[in-house]
Amino acid sequence: MRGISLLFVSIIIFSACQSAQEIKKMQYFVEGLELYKTHCANCHQLDGAGLAGLYPPISKEYMSNNKLKVICLIRNGGNDTLIINNKSYNQAMPANLNLEPIELAEITTYIYNKWGDETVITEIDEVKNALEKCKQ
Amino acid sequence: MSKGTFLLVIVVAFSFIFFTISCKKSVKILPILGERDTKNIVIDGKSKIDTIYHTIPNFTFIDQNADTVTNQAYKDKKIYVADFFFTSCPTICPKMKTQMSRLYRHFVDNELVAFLSHTIDPRHDTVPVLKEFAKNLGVSGNQWRFVTGEKEKIYEVALKGYMATAKEDSTADGGFIHSGAFILVDKNQRVRGIYDGTISEEVDELMEDIDLLLLEKK
Repeated sequence: MRGISLLFVSIIIFSACQSAQEIKKMQYFVEGLELYKTHCANCHQLDGAGLAGLYPPISKEYMSNNKLKVICLIRNGGNDTLIINNKSYNQAMPANLNLEPIELAEITTYIYNKWGDETVITEIDEVKNALEKCKQ
Repeated sequence: MSKGTFLLVIVVAFSFIFFTISCKKSVKILPILGERDTKNIVIDGKSKIDTIYHTIPNFTFIDQNADTVTNQAYKDKKIYVADFFFTSCPTICPKMKTQMSRLYRHFVDNELVAFLSHTIDPRHDTVPVLKEFAKNLGVSGNQWRFVTGEKEKIYEVALKGYMATAKEDSTADGGFIHSGAFILVDKNQRVRGIYDGTISEEVDELMEDIDLLLLEKK
């Protein structure tokens, strides 16, 4: 009997943990969408398709190979020509220096879950780590 | 119900239907915007007062293909939509260009409709820069012209001609402030509508108004 109730309790704790993580992910995703609309959609469009040869699409392939760079680009902008889906884009990307690590984590979670191949949260620590690395 | 009342009901019903239909068909006429003036003219020996409408002042700019563009490109020939932007603009221009692209694609190859985008940053937006920008937007030919010129002339035509704001301001994002307006100009160079080029619904309205203006007799 004790064994069964212990099992029962651990199932409850486990599923509660699961859903807490799920809820956090939902929050990141929803917040990320709002931030995306404000800071990114003007150029990259709501559907992530970009605009002709001016502003590149939010590309799955580029994102999975360049996560560190993507996080840095969102915050610091960039002037380099980017090759995305075999097309080159040379319009400068403006910086968003006011974005906090939590906001960057939310945007990154949103775009990687929406158009990338990730199904998990980008944690704040991962963002901080990336920002440290792109300083060097 | 007598025959008389029956007939009356029929007549009322028909006239109601008739008026509803004819009201719906009544065409919206676009206003002529800007300040007006009057002058006395003499027609057949009689003196009359004529209205002088606000028109776009004369301008001379250079487009992305290094061709000169003046009012003569449009006067009596085309209606056009004008706007003010700069290629490195981080704020509202991408939205404006998204919407203008939509308009352009809708009216592409229509010889009676043109688009005129003025840079407000001529120092950076030279002819080659504008050419590259147009190419990247998928624009060829000269239906949509991206023009540059003397900065003061551009700011002046914005304010005095198109009733739009454009000026330098180091405190603004990107260094300039400008309105996101799309200005609809008729064949007589008169301003017939001003729309917010960052809002999709307003651009839908502009699209309909262009169709209306195309139907208008000179």
